[in-house]
Amino acid sequence: MVLALSRASLCRSLPQGTACLPSVRTYANSPPGQQGQFKIQNVKGSRKSKVNKTFSRKNRIGAFRSMNPSQLTVPVLQPRPSLSMPSFKPELMTENMIGQVVAFNQTLNDPIKYFGTPKNMLLEFRLLSQRCSVIRNITILTTEELNSAASEPSHKTRYVLTGPSGCGKSFLLLQAVQYCLAKEWIVIYIPRAKTTVNSTTTHVYDLRTQTYLQPNYAQQTLRRILEVNSANLQTLTMRDGLSYERRSFSSGTTLAQLASAGSKDPAISSVVLETLLTELCRQSKIPVLLAVDDFQSIYNQKTSYRDPHFSAIRPYHLAIPRFILEFASGKRSFPKGAIIGALTAADPAFPVTNELMDELGVPGVHPRSPYSKRSKILQEYARGLRNLPVPTEFSPREAASVFETWMRDNALTAPANDELFLAKYTESAGNPKAFVWQGILGTLEGAAPVVNESTSWPQLREGRI
Amino acid sequence: MVHILGINLPDDQLARFALTSIYGVGPHLSHRLCARFQIHDKCRVRDLTPFQTTALSSFLQSPKTALPVAQYPLAPINFIPRPPSKSIQELQAELNAERAAQKQKRDEKLQKMGKLPVEDVKAKVGGRKAPEKKSRDPLTELRIESELRREIRENIAHQRLIGSYVGRRHAMHLPVRGQRTQTNAKTARKLNSLDRW
Repeated sequence: MVLALSRASLCRSLPQGTACLPSVRTYANSPPGQQGQFKIQNVKGSRKSKVNKTFSRKNRIGAFRSMNPSQLTVPVLQPRPSLSMPSFKPELMTENMIGQVVAFNQTLNDPIKYFGTPKNMLLEFRLLSQRCSVIRNITILTTEELNSAASEPSHKTRYVLTGPSGCGKSFLLLQAVQYCLAKEWIVIYIPRAKTTVNSTTTHVYDLRTQTYLQPNYAQQTLRRILEVNSANLQTLTMRDGLSYERRSFSSGTTLAQLASAGSKDPAISSVVLETLLTELCRQSKIPVLLAVDDFQSIYNQKTSYRDPHFSAIRPYHLAIPRFILEFASGKRSFPKGAIIGALTAADPAFPVTNELMDELGVPGVHPRSPYSKRSKILQEYARGLRNLPVPTEFSPREAASVFETWMRDNALTAPANDELFLAKYTESAGNPKAFVWQGILGTLEGAAPVVNESTSWPQLREGRI
Repeated sequence: MVHILGINLPDDQLARFALTSIYGVGPHLSHRLCARFQIHDKCRVRDLTPFQTTALSSFLQSPKTALPVAQYPLAPINFIPRPPSKSIQELQAELNAERAAQKQKRDEKLQKMGKLPVEDVKAKVGGRKAPEKKSRDPLTELRIESELRREIRENIAHQRLIGSYVGRRHAMHLPVRGQRTQTNAKTARKLNSLDRW
């Protein structure tokens, strides 16, 4: 009786014409003039079907849709004024600019866009409203080395950036890349060399080179080199012609045309990359920088690749790691230029090997003796590498600049003052990564509660935190 | 969609995982198969080339008749590759000639030392062939699908034929490996039989 009454009352309240089925949902009518506002058009699931279907997630639009920016009136969502700071220029690399934060502006041949960056750096750039980094003492030192390397063969300037985890090796490498690009060098930057050895890209055995080629990776690399260095590559031409797989390039073809052809066809990309590097090794007009992050991954004895007999393929038997190893060891050399690698200290899959640690004079985590396992071939490939240690901590001035940048970007929840800065600097011991990620971004200290005497409700007197 | 042995492999799956849907192929065999046909770990089924798909299918249809994989020469440290204009056939011919020359040199050296080449030694000893070494590569003795099912059926039939405990338990639809029957044993009651598979 009660149920029947309630159902009847439900039916009476509904507009006429609607069926009183318990499975049909009805909503209140929208006010006149706004009836078509949220009408879904041209969507599969919006057509009324005669049969009531069971709930399906397939064609659901979702409850939340992005609003027009002009409708966002809440203060938190107001657009912030963008960070204003000087752009990164080679002229700014002087002693009195140490501690200054400079921005990496977006240019037509932006290396960050085309080559990419290591993952942690990518996340940091996404959080900041502008991609920037601080000029440190080691930055000036590196730029001075690069200036002297501009007129010397690359086998004389082969550096490896070392230091504990989070000390700024990848950032320093990116600064070197930006510096060289601004100085109109040809730059080849490999931000994640780990991807060449962790079995994520196609590999195929080639009898001519007696190595495993990586055609897709070569194609990507050619495309990136072309996008970033197209102006320089158009001024250089091939000395000898090339004919391969029914394709031929006569001598006099520009390197830009060669790279463009290789970047479109993976079948010829490996040969084109090899030819491009050979031609760059012959020309002495433009200096070339080869910058490799995750440098230690190519010095590991075994890669994740397996050969048809299921034994692990060595890095010097894969095309891309082999060419990096040849340049890093000085077996191949650009007439003008430099080779810089940056280690990744905390990667358990590809740790820093004994051969590298011996050559660079780095102590390493575990003690090693003359009886520890070493590969003669990798020792040969590591010969002549020089250690460029990155300072483990920020100086107070550098840390203050970084703190101010994040503060202006509204990253701090706490009131920004000297006490907070010194507290975070001390807690992180000056380590750059810890200072930013655990110090500035990881702090849970909020603003102090504001006492509101005028409120009539005692529980609201101390305000919201 | 790629079809191998009548099994449809979904496009968006990793090839190394998709191959485990074949009866008799588990994670390790799948890894070995991928290595044999130069399929990297993160290759999706849609990224397989037609050559790789054909090679996989023809290998899996008759693993025993497949050709053994050749030993690829790998570049030493100061290797200078030939120019790209040289064709694969020329390079292969050069490699074969080099291998033949090395073998001849080795045989001459053995003869000088008074030891015979390896084939002659085998023929001489007792007139019998030396027992062939068991290969460590599981792909040489690969059994999948109907062959594997037949083998399991034959094993169960053999156990019954010789009148063993294992055979009797299969016949009675009860657990074979000493599990309890006072409770549980439902899977055994459902699946254990003489004509399983």
